Order: sequence, then structure tokens, then C-alpha cells
Amino acid sequence: MEHSRPQWTGARVARVEDARLLSGRARYLDDLPLPGCLEVAFVRSPHAHARIRRIDPRLALAMPGVVAIWTFSDCPVRLLQSGVYPVGQPALADGEVRYVGEPVVAVFAADRYLAEDAAEAVEVDYEPLPAYVDLAAIVEHPDWAVHPPVDNRYVHREYATEGFDQAFAQAPHHLRVRFRTRRQTAVTLEPRGAAAVFDPASERLTFYASTQSPHRMRGDLAKFLGLPDHRVRVVVPEVGGGFGMKANTYPEDILVAWAALKLGRPVRWVSDRMESLLADAHARDDIHDVEVAFDGEGRIWAVADHLMADGGAYPGYPFSGAVGETGLAAQVLTGPYQIPHLKTTIDCVFSHKTPLGAYRGVWGPIASFVQEGIVDRVARAVGKDPAEVRRLQLIDQFPYRNPAGLVYDPGSYRDSMELALKAIDYDRWRDEQRRGWREGRYLGIGISVFVEPSAMAASESGSIPYEAATLRMEPSGKVTASLGLGPTGQGHETTMAQLIADALGIAVEDVVVLHGDTDSAPLGGGTGGSRSATIGGGAALTAAERLGEKVRRVAAHLLEADFEDVVLAQGQAYVRGVPSRALPLAEVARIAYTDVARLGPELEPGLEVTARYRPPLPMTFSNGTHVAVVEVDIETGLVKVLRYAVVNDCGTLINPQIVEGQIVGGVAQGVGSAFLEELAYSEDGQLTTTTLLDYRLPEATDVPPVEIQHLTTPSASLGGMKGMGEGSLIAAPAALVGAVNDALAPLEVWFSEIPITPEAIVRAVRRRAEAPR
Amino acid sequence: MKPAPFVYHRPRTVEEAVALLGLPACKVLAGGQSLVPLMNFRLSRPRHLVDINWLPGLDGVEWDPDQGRLRLGALVRHQVLATHPLVRRHLPVLAEAAGHIGHWAIRSRGTLGGSLAHADPAAELPAAMVALGARFCLRSQSGERWVDAGEFFQGLFTTVLAEDELLTAVEVSVDQSARWGFYEIARRVGDFALAGAYARRRGGVIDLTWFGVGPKPFTVELQAGEAEAALEQVLQTAAEDVAARQWAKVAAMRALQRAGR
Ligand SMILES: Cc1cc2nc3c(=O)[nH]c(=O)nc-3n(C[C@H](O)[C@H](O)[C@H](O)COP(=O)(O)OP(=O)(O)OC[C@H]3O[C@@H](n4cnc5c(N)ncnc54)[C@H](O)[C@@H]3O)c2cc1C
Repeated sequence: MEHSRPQWTGARVARVEDARLLSGRARYLDDLPLPGCLEVAFVRSPHAHARIRRIDPRLALAMPGVVAIWTFSDCPVRLLQSGVYPVGQPALADGEVRYVGEPVVAVFAADRYLAEDAAEAVEVDYEPLPAYVDLAAIVEHPDWAVHPPVDNRYVHREYATEGFDQAFAQAPHHLRVRFRTRRQTAVTLEPRGAAAVFDPASERLTFYASTQSPHRMRGDLAKFLGLPDHRVRVVVPEVGGGFGMKANTYPEDILVAWAALKLGRPVRWVSDRMESLLADAHARDDIHDVEVAFDGEGRIWAVADHLMADGGAYPGYPFSGAVGETGLAAQVLTGPYQIPHLKTTIDCVFSHKTPLGAYRGVWGPIASFVQEGIVDRVARAVGKDPAEVRRLQLIDQFPYRNPAGLVYDPGSYRDSMELALKAIDYDRWRDEQRRGWREGRYLGIGISVFVEPSAMAASESGSIPYEAATLRMEPSGKVTASLGLGPTGQGHETTMAQLIADALGIAVEDVVVLHGDTDSAPLGGGTGGSRSATIGGGAALTAAERLGEKVRRVAAHLLEADFEDVVLAQGQAYVRGVPSRALPLAEVARIAYTDVARLGPELEPGLEVTARYRPPLPMTFSNGTHVAVVEVDIETGLVKVLRYAVVNDCGTLINPQIVEGQIVGGVAQGVGSAFLEELAYSEDGQLTTTTLLDYRLPEATDVPPVEIQHLTTPSASLGGMKGMGEGSLIAAPAALVGAVNDALAPLEVWFSEIPITPEAIVRAVRRRAEAPR
Repeated sequence: MKPAPFVYHRPRTVEEAVALLGLPACKVLAGGQSLVPLMNFRLSRPRHLVDINWLPGLDGVEWDPDQGRLRLGALVRHQVLATHPLVRRHLPVLAEAAGHIGHWAIRSRGTLGGSLAHADPAAELPAAMVALGARFCLRSQSGERWVDAGEFFQGLFTTVLAEDELLTAVEVSVDQSARWGFYEIARRVGDFALAGAYARRRGGVIDLTWFGVGPKPFTVELQAGEAEAALEQVLQTAAEDVAARQWAKVAAMRALQRAGR
């Protein structure tokens, strides 16, 4: 098929989603009119660990508007991924609570106010038990068990390259660091929620979900409710952010669906912000005990890492964030550097805290923080510039097999760093820094060269290494596309339309992209692990090619031309070289559906295709470099980001504006990770940050202007796209932390724990000042 | 996150309002920026809510040139305080401090009276009133009384305000000879302070008033020249931990710097 130059792909097409989002006309789950709907309020555990002696709902049941009050026996479902994890979370606590915020009782009432009033009146008698809260202590105490007799260390893995010990021992220099990341959560603008309506006439359950994986959710509901999957319809309305946190199926989802079936009325639950912080998937509760072997030049010979993650009280369903964070971190720990030897030990443990799930980047922000922290420390140890030490070992031969066995496809690792350093004016800042130090100003430059494994065959969406698209050219010649994706704000309605429009020679406005309704969308994996542009885009392109072929066959017949000679462009099918022999697509489509006598016997009526696309490689690697310049006020401990440059390479750009939006958002979340966000627990397992007053998110004024440049090393996938939804958050914390450490170099202060708080800076600087010289 | 049930009242006169304050478990609703979140968390459970936003005459900013005195109504919004020409002319330090409260949306609703009655130790305005030597007018059914800011604040979220009293106005006498400085250290723009200070210089005498340091605003008088050393001593008792002490000191030093010579 002849392609005219793409008109839409690569262009800064304004997002078709924006008009409704920005004018407040988007409809979220909470906006859906569901007449007669009951609302749920949960009684959640106030204890990290306790036995439930007795639950007395009598007082609450008598309150106005209350319809039902449920405990575990009313919905005896466990979210167990059998064969993968030893335990699963019950829909409501079953005799024992294992984290603060765990749902214990569900109260169904006419509205949320009445439901909350009644929830307060439910009497639950708890017998508090000791709670295991601190990750390091849990790892050191194999006898502590959250689910006796199940081994509390529910994942243990070891790996080493051949010859590791020898290489490590022979290196002239060694260093040792413990890196620590503190718990965070995604904090989506739209909180989690679920609504369910059972229609007795069709005997079908419609489940409204704020999720990233519509079909996975349908499969889970079918499994746990014991319904055949074609009796379950999942509809995903507008979703206000997911970030991996909405990739899970949660106890509340099952409970809402079960209640709609059993109570015979629509049921809805929408999380409030306190519930979000308590009971949305948490992330990033990890420790890395690292040992590094290197030479006097700053070349790193070997890295050993003991990776520990606190998975919380239960594995998230269908995957545990602890396993995702450590498992993949162990595989990309050497990042973009040619480090020949690697040894990793992974321990994932249960604790009496909220279950760990995914948060944008999952393993990546942690791995980059460790990897860049290692390189910076080696550079300091050998007295070299951090950029110089990176140059020594950045990869430049492809495909590159890293010491964990992952094979990187081509990327622009070196170029991205050089370009980013130039963009920021690196040498000038180094001069500025030295001048500043003399005057008592602490400026620092942080470099983060990142690797983003994307579009993985197996990811949050499960092992569905493909995406699916159904495309229909309607009788008007306009196109309706339906995809299995689960966008949560990324702009797929725009990017997918751009790809389809180019393939069919039509305008973006002529394509409507639907998603998130399992009745219309073909089964796909959904959105997660930066897979949508690459795999979903591949599906859109494949379907569009095949639809184009159908259209051309009909047009060839009508134009009495050879199929090979028919070209689609500007809303027309025409004969190559003879633009006057043309038919508008509207005419072709009209005939294909409603004037089928003209098609002749060989051609099938209608213009509709469903296609699935499976990329050729198990994953493709985006790359890039972030450079941050910060100023640390050592008296207050506050950090100001002065400059921030990003060079990003995600292969073919479908829409640079959307890519840049993703980058800026990731940098913003990186500022949160590096300096602000922490879900803090007290020693007895109380979450002490249950409002956004305590759980500090970055605000507009905390986010620096981000200067972005693109490089383009296409992937081997159709269209050449690489995933880029996570890279910016993968890279940003490392760049920011590196910059703070760089600023404080004269004081010999190193931070290896995030977030870096003003307290931490003030204390560290004081400690140095008071230490004997 | 829904409040417990309550009865809502909307009085149209101050007399009506103070009469309603006699109801059991009654609370005044002003800007709602502190009270409503507390109610939603069910940490505050008033049975009656008296909305004072519809009362006339409580949102005035008036300058009395004869007395050299600024009078501010309890319903003056933080944003008005931050931008009002009379405040900026006569008490620029107060306008500056008000601009540090939360964000625009919060400043547009939050009120002076609400902030003072709430008495958050890390809030800007209670300390401003102590530093400025303001007086508050408290109204109840039995009449009105005037209380000095220094006596009004009792401790963490506690004041001398009785349950049936309404704070209606604030008066500040402006001392033309004083030079003022303000500095606040906060994690993010608009956050409550980690520490903040007002500095007043009058000749060789310096008065420093802190917020976010102890359970309530407090003032210390120092002689210029000995400030830094004296501060260490003062703060030794005021703030237990190293970081808090450091912030208190830095806020004071920087406020002092801004007060000029
Ligand atoms: C996100 C956010 C950030 C904030 N940041 C800051 C900040 O940085 N600094 C800061 O100082 N504040 C901050 N605030 C609080 C804000 O300033 C409030 O406006 C203020 O504390 C209370 O004023 P209000 O008018 O909203 O009072 P309300 O919330 O209506 O009432 C507060 C209390 O005062 C009582 N009350 C109110 N008015 C009177 C009256 N006239 N007489 C007697 N009692 C009365 C009420 O009964 C209640 O107990 C923030 C609030 C939010 C939501």
C-alpha cells in the first residue's frame, strides 16, 4: 500500500479529550445517574493487627436509610491468586485484621451520609495483637509471621553472574550503601470507585469501574462471582488518573458487585481521600543493601544488591507490588551502564501494613535511584566528575545484554546525556557551583541517565502480550475504533486516532476512539507498563491497514481498477496517477453497506475488522537523561530546583505534545518522591499521614519548568513507538537526589533515603558542623 | 468523609447570631476552611452551626486617622487582608503575612476572625496580632468585651473565647516609628509554617514574635546587637528538637534582616 507522508502522526494534535475534561463535562463513575442506588460506607480497621472478637451491627441496622450490613460471611470471597501467592485478601476481614484501613464491615444505605452515620454505630470488639511494621526488622526476624504458618518471606530469589565472586574480590576498591525508599501512593485526582447494576431481564451484571484493565476486571468478577464472562459487562467511564494503582482488583470491587447481585439494587462506592491514602495500593517500601566493586578510573566491575520489599499484609490482586518492584529492579539495576557482574538477592515479606501494588515506574524509580547513587558515589570516591564517570561506561553497542540477561534494543544513551548536559550548560553550572561554595551557596547538579523497559509481554495487565482493536468504517465513511486499552488520562482517543487517520488517509476528526466497554471492545490487556502506544498503537495500525485493504478492494471493484493501484488519501480512494478516477470514502462505504448489489459476488458486505498486535520483542527500551540543578538552603533544609532539562527517546513520537505532558507529569511526581511524599507509619502500625495535609504532594510552585528535547531511535514494533509513560518518574528522583548530594559535597553529606526532608538536611548539616574535624 | 448530622442556622443580625450561640454544641461557621474539614473527619461534631457569613458590617477595613488605628471586621477574608490598600499602607507586614496563608481559594474564603478563633499555633495571623499588640472585640448576649491578643491565645487551639461569644472585630494601633520584618519557613508555598517570625525594631529594641514554634505565639524582647546569641538561649526552651530550633532561629534572623536597620 502506498503511504503518503504521515499527516497526523508526529504532529502536535490538540487532545480531543481536553474540551470535555477542561470544561468539567467529563463523566466519572461518581457522576453516573443510577436510580435507586445504594451507597456503601466501610468500617475499616483502626488496628494494624487484631483479632475480631465480635461484630454487633444491631444499633446501626436500626438507623434511617440502612438497608444491609455485611461481614465476611455475607461475601465470602478471597482475592487469592492460587499457585502464585500463598494467601489472598478476604473481601471483608475474616476474624482478624492485618492493616489499618482494612475493610471489616460494609454498610449499605440510601446515601453516603446515612451509610457513614451507621458505620460509626457498628460495634466491633477488637483484641489488639503485636504488629510487624519495620521492613528491616521483619527481614531480620524470620519467626515473625503475618499469616502463620505461611513463610513470611513469601518471595526469595537469588541470582549471580558467572564469575561474580572473583570479579568482586579482585576489584581494587569497594563501597557499601543502604538505599531506602519510603512508602508512597499514586493519589489519583479521581479516587477509586465501583458501581454495579444487575439487570434481571437480561441476567447481566453491568459493572462500572475506575480501572486500567477493563477485560481483566471482567475476568476477575466472573471468577469471583461465579458468573460466565458474557453475563458481565465492565464499563469504564472517564478515569481521572491510574498510575498503576488502578491496575488492581480490590476487595471493594468484589463487594460492590456481589451486593448488587444479592441486594437486587444498584450499589456504588466511591473512595474518599482518607480511604485512598489508607487503602489504595501503596508502593516503594524498599531497602537495597548494595556493595560495589570498582577501579581507580571509576569503572564499575560488579554490583551486589540485597533487595527487600515490604509487601504489606496481603499480595495485591493479581500481583504484589513488592514482587514487581524488586523483581524488575534486580533486572535493570545496572541501568544504562556496562557493568559486567551482578549479584542480587530478593526478599519480599508480609507486614501489618497496606498491600503494595503498582505506582508509575514500579521498580524503575527505585532502581534508578540506586544505580545513579552508585555511580555518583564511585565518581566521588575516585575524584572524578560524575559526567566523566558515566561516559566511561555508558552502553553504545546494541542489542546489549545486561548482566541480568535483559536484552536492550537500540537507544541513544550517550547522545541523550551529552545533549542534556549541553542543554543545561553543564560546565557553566560547575563554575557557578564552585563560586557559590566559596560564598556559602550550595548549588548542585544531578544527572540521571535512565532505561525504561516498556511494552512488556507480561506486565500489570497480566500475560496478554498483545492489544486489540476493532475498526469499523461506518456507512458515512467515518471510522469508529474500539480498543481494549484502559486510558486514565493519557490521550489515547487522540493518539490512536492519529495513527488510524494516517493509515486510512482521513482526518483525525473522522475517527472516534472508544475504549473501556467490554461489550464493544475486543479483549485486550488494558493500560499499564507503558504498553499502550507500542502495543495498542500496533493494534490500531494493524487494524487500520486491514480495514484500508477492505476499503481498497471495494473501491478497486467500483473504479474498475487493479487493487494494487488504489490509494487512500484525503478521504478518497483514487487510482494511482489518475487523481480524477476517485471515489469519496463516504460513497465506497455507503455502497459496501447499503448498495451491496454493486459489490458483486466475491466481495463481503460491510467494512469492519478486528486485529490483534503482538510486538516482535518481549520489550522495548526507551531511554533518556534528566539533569537537575538545585540550590540547597542549608539553614532551612529547603531545596529549590533552578533548572531541569530532559532529553527523551521513545522512538517514533505519535504526538510530541502528549509525550511532553507525560514527561512534565513524571517530573512533578519525581519532585514528590524526592522531597515530599511519605506514607509514614508509627511503630504500632498506625498510618499517620491520612490527609493531604500530611501526605504532601508537589504543588505547581514546586515543579520547575522542564526543558525537553527529543531523540528518536525507533523500536522494531509496528510504527516504531516505544513506551514512555514511566521514564520521567523513573529518572526524576535520581536526578534530584543526585543534585542535592552534589550540592552538599563540601560538607560530605550523602543522602541515600528518599524523601529527603528539610529535617534530614538540617540534621545532617548540623551533624557535620558538630563533628570533630 | 461526611459530617455528622447538624442543624444549619443563617442569622441576619449580630444579635440574632449571639442569641443562637446559646444552643447546645453550637459552632460558628465563618470561612469554613478549618471547621469544615474537621467536621468531615468527624473530629468536630457540632449539633448547631451558625453561619455568620450573612451578617452585615463584619467585613469592614477602616482607618481611624485620629487614633492612628486600623479596625478590621471578623469576616475580612485573608485575600482582602493581603491586598487591601489600607492594610498595605498602614500595616504592610500584615498584608505580607496574609499572603502566605494557603492558596488563593482558601484565602478567598478564610476569615480573620476564623483564624484567630481557631488559634492554630502555626498560623500567621494569631502571631501577627500578638506582634502588633491588637485588641479583639468579643460579643455575647450579655454585651461586649475587649481582650488583648497576648491574653486571647491560651495554648494549642485554645483561646479565652467563651462558647457563646462571637469575635466581631480587631483593632490595631499603628506605631509609625516601628520597622517590621516577616519571614516564614514552610515546606511548600501555602503550607502552615515550620517556623515563622515577625521582627519589630524600635530604636535599639527588637521584639520577635514566633509562630509554629510553641503551642501559641510568643514574643521576646532583645537588645539590638546581642540578638543572635540571645536567640540560641531563648529557643533552647521554646523548641525541643534541633531542626525546630534551627528553623525558629533562622526565621527570626531573616525577619530581623528584613526589618532593616
Ligand atoms: C489547604 C488549606 C491550607 C491552609 N493553610 C493555612 C496557612 O498556611 N495558614 C493559616 O493560618 N491557615 C491556613 N489554613 C486555614 C485557613 O486560614 C482558615 O481560613 C482559618 O484557619 C479559619 O478561618 P475560617 O474563616 O475558615 O474559619 P472556620 O473554619 O469557619 O472556623 C474555624 C473556627 O473558628 C470559629 N470561628 C470562626 N469565626 C468565628 C468568630 N467570628 N467568632 C468566634 N468563633 C469563630 C469556628 O467556630 C471554628 O471553630 C488553611 C486551610 C486549608 C484548607
